[in-house]
Amino acid sequence: MHENDKRSITATLAAATCTLLGATAPEPVQAQEEPGWDFNTALLYYGEDNDRVQDVSLSLLARRMFVDDRYLSLGLTADALTGASPNGALSMSFPQTFTKPSGKNTYTTPPGEFPIDDTFKDTRIAATASWQQPLGRLYEFNVGVSASSEYDYTHAGLNARISRDFNKRNTTLSAGLALARDDIDPVGGVPAGLSQMPDADGGDGGNRGSSETKDIVDIVLGVTQVVNRNLLVQVNYSYSDSSGYLTDPYKILGVVDGTTGDAVPIVPTPGVDGPSHLYLLENRPDSRTKHSLYTQGKYYMNGKVLDISYRYMTDDWEIDSHTLDMRFRWPTGSNGYLEPHLRFYTQSAADFYTLSLVDGDPLPEYASADYRLGDFDAITAGLKYGWQTNGGNDMNVRLELYRQSGNVSSSQLIGNQLDRDSYPDLDAIIFQYGYRFGK
Amino acid sequence: MRLGVLVSALLLLGSMSACSSMGVEPWERDVLAKEEMQLTTDPVEAATDDHIYFSKEASSGGRGFGGGGCGCN
Amino acid sequence: MRWLIPLVLLSALFLQAPAAATDEQFDLTVHQGKVVIVDFWASWCVPCRRSFPWYNAMHDKYGDEGLIIVAVNLDAEREAAEEFLAEYPPRFEIVYDETKDLAREFDVVAMPTSYLIGRNGDIRERHFGFKVKKQSEYEAAIVDALGARE
Repeated sequence: MHENDKRSITATLAAATCTLLGATAPEPVQAQEEPGWDFNTALLYYGEDNDRVQDVSLSLLARRMFVDDRYLSLGLTADALTGASPNGALSMSFPQTFTKPSGKNTYTTPPGEFPIDDTFKDTRIAATASWQQPLGRLYEFNVGVSASSEYDYTHAGLNARISRDFNKRNTTLSAGLALARDDIDPVGGVPAGLSQMPDADGGDGGNRGSSETKDIVDIVLGVTQVVNRNLLVQVNYSYSDSSGYLTDPYKILGVVDGTTGDAVPIVPTPGVDGPSHLYLLENRPDSRTKHSLYTQGKYYMNGKVLDISYRYMTDDWEIDSHTLDMRFRWPTGSNGYLEPHLRFYTQSAADFYTLSLVDGDPLPEYASADYRLGDFDAITAGLKYGWQTNGGNDMNVRLELYRQSGNVSSSQLIGNQLDRDSYPDLDAIIFQYGYRFGK
Repeated sequence: MRLGVLVSALLLLGSMSACSSMGVEPWERDVLAKEEMQLTTDPVEAATDDHIYFSKEASSGGRGFGGGGCGCN
Repeated sequence: MRWLIPLVLLSALFLQAPAAATDEQFDLTVHQGKVVIVDFWASWCVPCRRSFPWYNAMHDKYGDEGLIIVAVNLDAEREAAEEFLAEYPPRFEIVYDETKDLAREFDVVAMPTSYLIGRNGDIRERHFGFKVKKQSEYEAAIVDALGARE
């Protein structure tokens, strides 16, 4: 993952288990017959090209069933990150020097390359626990907690959801709530938004606070409907509200000349290493409200299963996104399956997203050049193979390729920027091995 | 944005009423009871994917829970 | 009120076997005077699997006192049911409801559904689902039914 995304990664696990309210960790996949343990483990490798982020992670999901379909789920994930990722500045035809977030030294990007910061090698631990049980005959509830920790970010969250069946269990209505509080304690302190990148003079640039917090509330309402013997459909509406410190404390914007589009050089402080050009720390609003509509269908066709889902997301940062995800499970032999996977994603840019700031223009209130808030398309193509071992346990492997390409219209580019890439396109490989065993 | 909320609410309500006539008898859920027909077949893979895409994109989540399956008890 | 239809139907069954309901004869009249459990199950239903060992235990314990268990299978394919029965061999009677007419007549709205019928043919209890924790409750109801005069 993006080293600054480690913060997001933490929030991601929160999202995956807590804010998504049981879709992953707490959801029992298949009713266990007898009380006992079910262990689901996975080893993941994620690697981007061009010396960018690489991640290795180990996940464990242990679920114990108690009499009459009551479940305790415990999840643990450990991640190790290495590599570098774009810091938000554009590539230029000359070298650029930046101060590392620690404030202790600098790094230089050669001409023609996207500036990437390779400081962060980090490990992260995330844990979840949840309890699920029926309530009466037609209700089911789930409560859980989640927490994660890495050196500059910690997360804690609670989640709960309830569902009720109708129409001879053909219809299920669900409602869920998740609350989270994250603490951000960046290396070098919290920079003031849109302040200048400091010199590498040891860390206290004077523009730094100590730590910040972020609060997240998520609500999900859903309907699951059995359409016929072979078709199941689900529709969910999600509302998410984040408030507090939403800025990425390590990302910057380059200030460029209004005609040439080149980075504006600055006069270095004598005797001190520092940035070669004018860079400002980014600044995002302190609140974000998102709405999503997600729909999924599972269709059984004579032993094969087609799984298609579509999600539309819109928020008050003006980001709109569409996600189309398709999987096709194809049984092979007596105990295996092949599952090709295709995912299409597109998003529009946040209203405060900009490639660079123009020297002399008034400073906007909010600005970010973080490519994750930009206008881009992404595609994932993969194949998974699963099989049952002689001992009756499940193993699977999957290999996927993920490609992200920016949509930058030439009207957004200034001068010499037209000659260069303005969006750090991403190519990544995902490889995962999973093993599931019980009792 | 408000329109989106309204549309979603209507969809949910609409599906509820339309749903009362759709579906199968309790004994016709053999296919729905299969592991590969659950909404989330592999929770660890789903968590990992959400993890990756949240880190690389501006959207997250959406998935739900519950429903389908054998409908027993 | 909701018990009216199954009650009427069950009473009808005691008077005459329903025509063409199943491949095999489903005739409860032969069990008149005994306590009968009619249980609707399928091989893919996990709580049904949990109920079979208990039904065997009840059959062993109260069979001599007049308890009859009839388990009506609702699988789409008999093969699936037979695979299941090989793994959980029953000592009680199994009936196959291929047309699902019995399931409809008996108002099966959940899996499993079971009826406890007293010696006089009255429906004493109806259960949706099978809960391991309620086994002693279920057993107490059987004992009551076995002991009741009328």
